[in-house]
Amino acid sequence: MYKKPFIFSFFMLLLSSWAMAPQLFYNVSKGNIDFRSDAPMELIKASSRELKGIFDATKKQFAFSVFVRSFSGFNSPLQLEHFNENYLESDKYPRASFDGKIIEDVDLHNDGNYTIRAKGNLTIHGVVQERIIKCELTVSNKVVTIRSHFTVLLADHNIPIPKVVHEKLASEIKVEVKADLIEK
Amino acid sequence: MSPKALLPLLFVSFILLSPKAKTQDTTDILNQLEKEMKQSEKTQTTYTTATFKTTRLINGHSVENTGKGVMDIKISHRFDEVKQGAYAFFGLDEATMRLGVDYGFTHFLMAGIGRSTYLKIFDAFIKIKLLRQSTGKKKMPVTVNYVPTIAVRTKNLPDSAANTFRSRLSWTQQLIIGRKLSEYTSVQIMPVFVHQHGYSPTSPPNNVFAVGIGGRQKISKRMSLNAEYYYQVTDHRAAGTSNVFSLGIDIETGGHVFQFHFTNTPAMNESNFITGTTGKWQNGDIRFGFNISRVFTVSKKH
Repeated sequence: MYKKPFIFSFFMLLLSSWAMAPQLFYNVSKGNIDFRSDAPMELIKASSRELKGIFDATKKQFAFSVFVRSFSGFNSPLQLEHFNENYLESDKYPRASFDGKIIEDVDLHNDGNYTIRAKGNLTIHGVVQERIIKCELTVSNKVVTIRSHFTVLLADHNIPIPKVVHEKLASEIKVEVKADLIEK
Repeated sequence: MSPKALLPLLFVSFILLSPKAKTQDTTDILNQLEKEMKQSEKTQTTYTTATFKTTRLINGHSVENTGKGVMDIKISHRFDEVKQGAYAFFGLDEATMRLGVDYGFTHFLMAGIGRSTYLKIFDAFIKIKLLRQSTGKKKMPVTVNYVPTIAVRTKNLPDSAANTFRSRLSWTQQLIIGRKLSEYTSVQIMPVFVHQHGYSPTSPPNNVFAVGIGGRQKISKRMSLNAEYYYQVTDHRAAGTSNVFSLGIDIETGGHVFQFHFTNTPAMNESNFITGTTGKWQNGDIRFGFNISRVFTVSKKH
């Protein structure tokens, strides 16, 4: 009967590590951001495929970031240049980011659709705004897909619109985020 | 071994197997993301853009190229000398004019044609971007362009020897080496070789080597001060000519760039303003002038 304590100990050992809620880190594997400015005279669309982010499911914390220079699309090369030089000033403020905490509790072990609210700091053009952004979460096969639509007021982020382009640039930019996160 | 002997082991395993203990800090995921962003920054190349507002600095070319699929209409005027006074409306009574069209075929190749009232010159050029200033994975300190130009003077001169086709031709070979030093300051240096096939108003030697320097200082997001100087290397310098020097301001409004400047030349094509300028700043032979650039996106594939 020598073996019994051994088995017992191993069982305890296993239990001990399992009893600690496992750290659940998710990383963005595929992240897209699209935005559009719908002004009376012009529709401008641009997107980036280079959204990066981390989600700590145990602590419900998240952090997302994107290089402003990674946006492409636009209606002309000059528009892209003005976007980086005059509006977003992407040499001075190279990134846009959103980080904070999820308000609701979600069990990501179960497949399904969830609507959650993410509360955090949205930083664009170096200006931080506290926002609560609604997101749709879809969990399937351990992949968490986040979808979110929200708007950004240029004035909130200290991006002035010159008078000459008032008809061509919307003061409210529609943003769409879609990201797949996988366990790290 | 008794279960009691295993208890310390159990305790140790408890600590070792709990990664949570180490990662409780709130800034932890931010740091992790920061690392990831830094990593991706290193593996990507960021090309410097908007070294200058447009493809011309003042008279000559800047290190910028017209975007792919973009047509740029250039209308330029050089008025008469300001010192003529109020009767001639400070030179604005008379003007030489150049109408031009540039087109960007790819990110690194553009071409343009133009017609000046000055000596009824037709000119054409291509501009090839050889190097792009960049940071990140590929690092390059400067942008380099190669700009060959050709010009044909169609105005008949009294001397019939000057009116053969060969004598009407001139061409230049120019390298433009530019660097954006900061968001506000950019500089460039332009070694240029000018060949003229004989006659011109000042009968310059056939071959002139010149070196240009130029730069801009932004004074606001949409305005910059520019300066440009082409120095003719003395041994080759054409008799009676002076070096062209210009000071200007760029104002950008959406698709337009307005360039206003003071210069000592009425010519707007390379061979003539580099080697055929007779006005001197020290004598007050200064002209007011402007270039207006309007871009049109012709092809949306970019």
